[in-house]
Amino acid sequence: MGGILFPRGVVEGRERLAEYRLRGGYEALRKALQGLSPEMIIQEITDSGLRGRGGAGFPTGKKWAFTRECAESPHYLVLNGGEDEPGSKKDRLLMEDLPHLVIEGVILASYAVGASQAYLYINAEYKDATRSTAEALAEAKEAGYWGENILGHDYSLNILAVAAPPNYVAGEDTAAIEVIEQKKPLPRQKPPFPATVGLFGKPTAVNNVETLANVPPIISRGAKWYRTFGTAESPGTMIFSLNEEVNRPGIYELPFGTPLRFLIEECGGGVKGGKAIKAILPGGPSSAFLPVQKIDLPLDHNSLREAGSSIGCGVVHVVTEGTCMVEDVLKIAEFFAAESCGQCPACRMETNMLAAMLKKVQQGQGGQPLLEQFSKVISFNKGKGFCNLINMPGPPIESALRLFRSDFEFHLAHGRCPEH
Amino acid sequence: MKQICLVCQNIDCKNRGSEALMKELGKRVAEKGLKDVEVRPYMCFGACQDGPNIVLYPEKSWYAGVKMEDLDDITGHLAGGPHVKRLDRIDSSLKELIYQLLDTGVF
Repeated sequence: MGGILFPRGVVEGRERLAEYRLRGGYEALRKALQGLSPEMIIQEITDSGLRGRGGAGFPTGKKWAFTRECAESPHYLVLNGGEDEPGSKKDRLLMEDLPHLVIEGVILASYAVGASQAYLYINAEYKDATRSTAEALAEAKEAGYWGENILGHDYSLNILAVAAPPNYVAGEDTAAIEVIEQKKPLPRQKPPFPATVGLFGKPTAVNNVETLANVPPIISRGAKWYRTFGTAESPGTMIFSLNEEVNRPGIYELPFGTPLRFLIEECGGGVKGGKAIKAILPGGPSSAFLPVQKIDLPLDHNSLREAGSSIGCGVVHVVTEGTCMVEDVLKIAEFFAAESCGQCPACRMETNMLAAMLKKVQQGQGGQPLLEQFSKVISFNKGKGFCNLINMPGPPIESALRLFRSDFEFHLAHGRCPEH
Repeated sequence: MKQICLVCQNIDCKNRGSEALMKELGKRVAEKGLKDVEVRPYMCFGACQDGPNIVLYPEKSWYAGVKMEDLDDITGHLAGGPHVKRLDRIDSSLKELIYQLLDTGVF
């Protein structure tokens, strides 16, 4: 693949400490402790333009600066390996195959934000990733990369792994914090953001696994080098996940700005059975559908936003010709209804309502007036939840209605899918 | 015209006793011989903090924070008596949204 994170393609099995060191592993940490202040690290990450890979795309340097500059102490670092987005497996593979890269990122981030305690929040269903990370943690501790007085310097860090419940909201950053505090995975109201009021009420940087895996290469080789990959607004690479709809499902690390067509056709080997593409959901179930005409769109934050969608955490779902959008969107709506944690009344109502409304459309009931209600229910509830889940069913539903209205109208008229 | 009494059965309303309320309302409706009234569960009206919620449709009356002792007045209303003003306190924009949905047949 030849990317930043997977320099020799996906590793077959876990990369051991010795192998990681052979390719410069932990040199970024040594470099940092020997001569870079936390502020200098944050500056380098800010200059690199690194953005969070968990979905929101927030600038990592900025997030770290909020935590670093907070007078409250202690500070914490949380590695978010909840990875509950359906179809996403990038964080799992990073933790399974390149655990030392991830751990070095965790140590550097902890040093930058001034944390002496870091938590690795790992999806409880990821047995291999959990084992691989635990083994790598032991190796790294033995080698003096974390613990008391790292590499003989006066910086000390303790790291603890915590099992993340494998449900959707548990991957939300404040829900992760709740779990680490041994509570139920329920998102907190924001603001305050965890960067300033997080774990145990203290400043906490919560970063996605892929985000932190980008940190060692940036510190080793510099922001300028990093910016030779990707676009000005979205520097570096991103790991995209392709699923069963293509001939070669898997994860692909590509520079930001790579055309969507390249990912689907060159990396994924095209759609199974040579079927034509009807639509693409480029950023997971909470992004908006793109029509096939947008297949040459560059994969980066701005291009997708301008096209009315989003890059999310890089799970690309290809909808083939012959798929009914009502069925596809109903599955998404039912997913959010099932995953709403239920603590915010508006979210509970909205997600259930949208699924019920789509069910009606599927059965051919409700008529045109029902189609008009979708945007009303969505806009009525916008922003009325603690977390973003309440805003998630909107983009796929509204884009499907806009782009493929005839599928919905066919269902209303006949109570079945047009293509069946 | 047939009147439907939709009784919310989502978590909050249920926690506040909406299951027992629905049962009791059904019983009283039957006792009064209100043949044109049907009592039915509903998934959620989105006014959880004000529950238990009961919406009469197609009449479009919304009763919030209903307690057992309110059921006589509600059955009275269903039998042609007055609107129970003290239980009518839901914001009009939410009412409008839910009524429009009910108009499209989302039950």
